[in-house]
Amino acid sequence: MDLDYLQMLMGEEEVVVEEKGEGYRNIWVVAERAGDELVPVTLEMLNQARQLASTLGAYVMAVLLGGDEALAQELIYYGADKVFLCDDPALKDYALEPYAKALGDLFAEKMPEIVLFGAADVGSELAPRLARRLGTIVLTNCTGLTLDAAQRTLVCTMPAYGGEYSEVVAFSPEVHPQMVTVRPGAFGRPYRDEYRSAEVETVAVDLDGVQPRVKVLNVVAQVEREPVPLDKARIIVSAGRGMGDAEGFALVEKLAAALGGEVAGSRGAVDEGWIDEEKQVGMGGVTVRPDLYIACGISGAIQHYLGMEEAKFVVAVNADENAPILKVADVGIVGDAKEVIPAIIEALGA
Amino acid sequence: MRIIVPIRQILDPRGFTVSPRHERIFINREEYIINPNDKNALEVALSLKDAGEAEVIVIAGGQARLDDALREAMAMGADAAYLLTDEVLAKTDAAGVAEALARGIEKIGDFDLIVVGQETLDTADAQLGPWLAEYLGVAQVGGVRQASISDGVLRVRRNWGAGYAEVEVALPALLTVASGANKPRYPHGGRIMAAYREWQVITWNSEDLGLTAADLAPLTQGRGRAFPPERTLGERLTGSPQDVAAELVQQLRLRRII
Amino acid sequence: MDFTFPKEYELFRRMVREFAENEVRPLAKKVDAEHRVPFETIKKAAKLGLMGVPFPRKYGGSGAGETGYCILMEELGKVCTSTATVIGAHTGIGAMAIYLDGTEEQKEKYLKPLASGEKIAAFALTEAQAGSDAAAIKTRAVRDGDYYVLNGSKCFITNGDIADIITVMAVTDPSLGARGGVTAFIVEKGFPGFSIGTLENKMGIRGSSTAELIFEDCRVPKENVLGQFGAGFITFMKTLDIGRASLAAACLGGAQAAMEGAMRWAAVRSQFGVPIAQKQSVHFAIADMATEIEALRSLVYRTAWLIDTGQPHVKEAAMCKVYGSEVASRCINRALQIFGGMGYSREFWVERAFRDARIAEIFEGTSEIQRIVIASNLFREMGLRISP
Repeated sequence: MDLDYLQMLMGEEEVVVEEKGEGYRNIWVVAERAGDELVPVTLEMLNQARQLASTLGAYVMAVLLGGDEALAQELIYYGADKVFLCDDPALKDYALEPYAKALGDLFAEKMPEIVLFGAADVGSELAPRLARRLGTIVLTNCTGLTLDAAQRTLVCTMPAYGGEYSEVVAFSPEVHPQMVTVRPGAFGRPYRDEYRSAEVETVAVDLDGVQPRVKVLNVVAQVEREPVPLDKARIIVSAGRGMGDAEGFALVEKLAAALGGEVAGSRGAVDEGWIDEEKQVGMGGVTVRPDLYIACGISGAIQHYLGMEEAKFVVAVNADENAPILKVADVGIVGDAKEVIPAIIEALGA
Repeated sequence: MRIIVPIRQILDPRGFTVSPRHERIFINREEYIINPNDKNALEVALSLKDAGEAEVIVIAGGQARLDDALREAMAMGADAAYLLTDEVLAKTDAAGVAEALARGIEKIGDFDLIVVGQETLDTADAQLGPWLAEYLGVAQVGGVRQASISDGVLRVRRNWGAGYAEVEVALPALLTVASGANKPRYPHGGRIMAAYREWQVITWNSEDLGLTAADLAPLTQGRGRAFPPERTLGERLTGSPQDVAAELVQQLRLRRII
Repeated sequence: MDFTFPKEYELFRRMVREFAENEVRPLAKKVDAEHRVPFETIKKAAKLGLMGVPFPRKYGGSGAGETGYCILMEELGKVCTSTATVIGAHTGIGAMAIYLDGTEEQKEKYLKPLASGEKIAAFALTEAQAGSDAAAIKTRAVRDGDYYVLNGSKCFITNGDIADIITVMAVTDPSLGARGGVTAFIVEKGFPGFSIGTLENKMGIRGSSTAELIFEDCRVPKENVLGQFGAGFITFMKTLDIGRASLAAACLGGAQAAMEGAMRWAAVRSQFGVPIAQKQSVHFAIADMATEIEALRSLVYRTAWLIDTGQPHVKEAAMCKVYGSEVASRCINRALQIFGGMGYSREFWVERAFRDARIAEIFEGTSEIQRIVIASNLFREMGLRISP
């Protein structure tokens, strides 16, 4: 397992760089919440902001719109040095115009050096809008953030072509503030430290004449996942004759559901009648290109391999340690799929 | 009703291979395609046109080769196309392109709706839509999946958390369309021929837009590329089912596959 | 001299390639197995102007000429010969005859709905006793007031049972034979006296239908005479000449796909410890395929260019047909050999491609007839008389 790459993306520099810029200070994190909870990317941003702050010699400021004191405390536990809380009732539910006004005014006054937004629903539409308002730009969907010590600029890593490789881009030194959106899941979650204490400053915002222009009619919190055609699926769990019987095949369906992926099969699974011919992966069926392909009880004959060779990451579970699939899998597990798959499902829930 | 759709262009991923071992991209066939998410945006605009009276205008800024992207958009159903290009515009970055597009849209004149793809496939750039909305001072909805219009009010279904939200917005407005929101139509055979043989792309340069080289100086600096580790095949996990399962799930999470 | 495709053709190729990959390929195995016409594909193709690619836009076509039409056939030939056959019989010969020799009124009435794909066309020449010897047809047309009355039957007619509009050749004056005695007619499927006979159960192209057509006192209005009265043979020969180039384009696609498939297979199939792609025997097979394919590509698109620029093309079109069909058969056969036992399995496309390819050496003029056309044209060009 090559962890150097991940560490490289996350940045390991220990240099403290000199201050530059005309009064632009500190790293700001715009907290994103869903109702009374912080969305995970907020915590991940705090983690990364802490690391950047120690290199820069700066504070981590968090701004919370429409939340309460208790939620502000959470931001401190997760690493904020100070929280600016705007608890105006008009900010309770997200609406672009008042949110942009509140943040725009605050940033104009406080002059942050760096601002992090989450690349989630709210941050994605708010960050570029604010960037324009403040006369700057934003680099979006960052999966890595480091500092260029000499120029005191942020160096951002953005996934190219869905992560085939990454583009590394730095802000020009004259850009202030330097704004980014951070892709959810890109950084780890920090430790929740209840002994941390810091100030929560409640700030009043002037929302006079600011009206939301988008009217929310209704919200559906959860939608049932629609089946994706196999050739477009991101995650595929595929069964072969090695699953033994219909009961074994049912485990494969369960694993696919747990991963939010699609179920497919080899010729063997089709012959056994567990799955329709349309779901057959291989030269005689569909060619797939998922990010993750889990082959369960599939030996991996060439005619099957030709249908899944472009999968980005292959996991094989097979009882036969000489099965060809194990040679072309990134990770192979030799064992009884009927024991291993339930264990994987359990591990996913943990 | 007038709908404007900005179009961006990317290197066709089917024409190159990424080699982590050499930390390089090998280009086998240099071909450019419309950014797929911009096709989703164009599809939203064209389906609004199908449903009622609308004129769909496509606009692109940057390199001269965008001409092909605009003609393809016309072949898909757009009514008119504007290309903002010259030596200065060809060299600017995404921020400069956004500035040029904003000026270009102002120069086109009145519009009711702007529809933009949420992000680019090549650099995951998701700046353009909201940035333009702020510049032009219009309302904006992100993560759009579908849109319909009645009595001058736009009704939109947008992604929201793990579900979606139905919202209403008055025109003029800007929508950013979620990637994969729809299956874009194919360009029409006859329109392909007409797009190259009969129809014009209107071209403006930076001077036409009142922009100087200084206005378009890049605000970012490319610092190269990072590559994932070389793939090693055939690794085996050993231990009890619980141990290997835990190890597998951890590896998948570390690699951000799940 | 410039051998590059103009940009409109590059985009057109990209579009039809994506259409073929996403819409046609997923049905290819199914329509072959179920022996049925992929109507769902035809409907989608019509929406994109793909049922009238060579015809001018004013008739509802795509205005892409023979070159564009060959591009379509090549890309379809890569994934499904049946679909290429259905669209080919419709566009390349059925509707083409009306485009070449129809009056403005006929084009308005018949070519427009055909080019837009609203209606399907077929082309009816072959009879039980008259295939290669086309002049031996027996179907008779006799004048009766404002009508011609047709009697006889046609066989092996692609799209025969699904067509709305059929171009039919019938004898109007037996004493004059092929020169002056044969006339082309446009027949609608609803005309009284027209019916469908038996459907063929074929070896390949099973996703296309092949029917017997029966004319029993079938009444055709006199304004449906296609081209000059008595000059039907010329109409049909002109039509078939053009059809041959595009048919060869479908063969080109089939050969290319077979080669690429065999290469993918050879790269992963190991024998004696190495991928068979490292074996010289495989290299030679691939090099031979690639060379023939490249030669065929040049021939097909040069012929398309001759047609689009209004130059003589009879000899070249015949060369396309004979060479294209034989290159496809040879390449698919070689590919099947590389696939070994797997190539012989019904499970995979190679076996289907092998069955599908064979017809190209037979229909729309056998290889033997093409060679006669080529040779007689050559003698004529050299000023040598070979008939007594």
